[in-house]
Amino acid sequence: MKRLLFILLLPLAFLSCSREVEEVPLYRQYAARQDLTVAQVKGFQLCDTVKIDVVILVADDSTAWQSLKTEFDIRTSEGVTSWMGEIDHPARRVKRDVRPAWRAMAVHADRTIAFYRVDNSLQYQALLDYQMDKLVNR
Amino acid sequence: MEHKMTFDSIWEQEEQQGLQQRLRQDYPAWLRRRHQRRTALATVAVLVVAGFSIFNFQPSTSKDYDYVACNRSGIAESHWVKVASNILTIETL
Repeated sequence: MKRLLFILLLPLAFLSCSREVEEVPLYRQYAARQDLTVAQVKGFQLCDTVKIDVVILVADDSTAWQSLKTEFDIRTSEGVTSWMGEIDHPARRVKRDVRPAWRAMAVHADRTIAFYRVDNSLQYQALLDYQMDKLVNR
Repeated sequence: MEHKMTFDSIWEQEEQQGLQQRLRQDYPAWLRRRHQRRTALATVAVLVVAGFSIFNFQPSTSKDYDYVACNRSGIAESHWVKVASNILTIETL
């Protein structure tokens, strides 16, 4: 009887634990930085069926922005710089078809870098479709 | 021999009666225990299902994200969702 109770209650205990907020490692890595505002959007909806995790780094001042640019090897200074980054080291560039990877976009005017986690081609395609939709309907 | 047979049959009869008597006494108790066991199991099953439903309950809102975390307080979640969306709009294909 006790064993049966244990078996029945174990999944419940697991479920209650798994509801804690899950932090993306990239977010955890930068959240402690005083010169950055760091946010993560878990499950950002691209379409009805596809969700994606997003990590956003915003430099508080130009010094912090320069530091971020150096860290992520961003050599341009205007417009938007985008690249595909290694999942554990987003600064390292990888080819477009590597999965999982970060789709990174640095907006110089806003001193912001957004990382979109791409785990499969469906997410990558949804990301492109989302961009296209937004640009067309703008 | 006849005496032995009589003794045997009496013994057997007594044994059967004793057994019947024991059954009469024990069967309701066994039924009661089984009923309690089943009730306890049903209660646990109901609790598990209820717990599962509560923990997985998600109100049907039109949220287009699961949740937002930020290292600074005082910034609305919607701001970050907007940033995530806007940057995709800025980016040139």
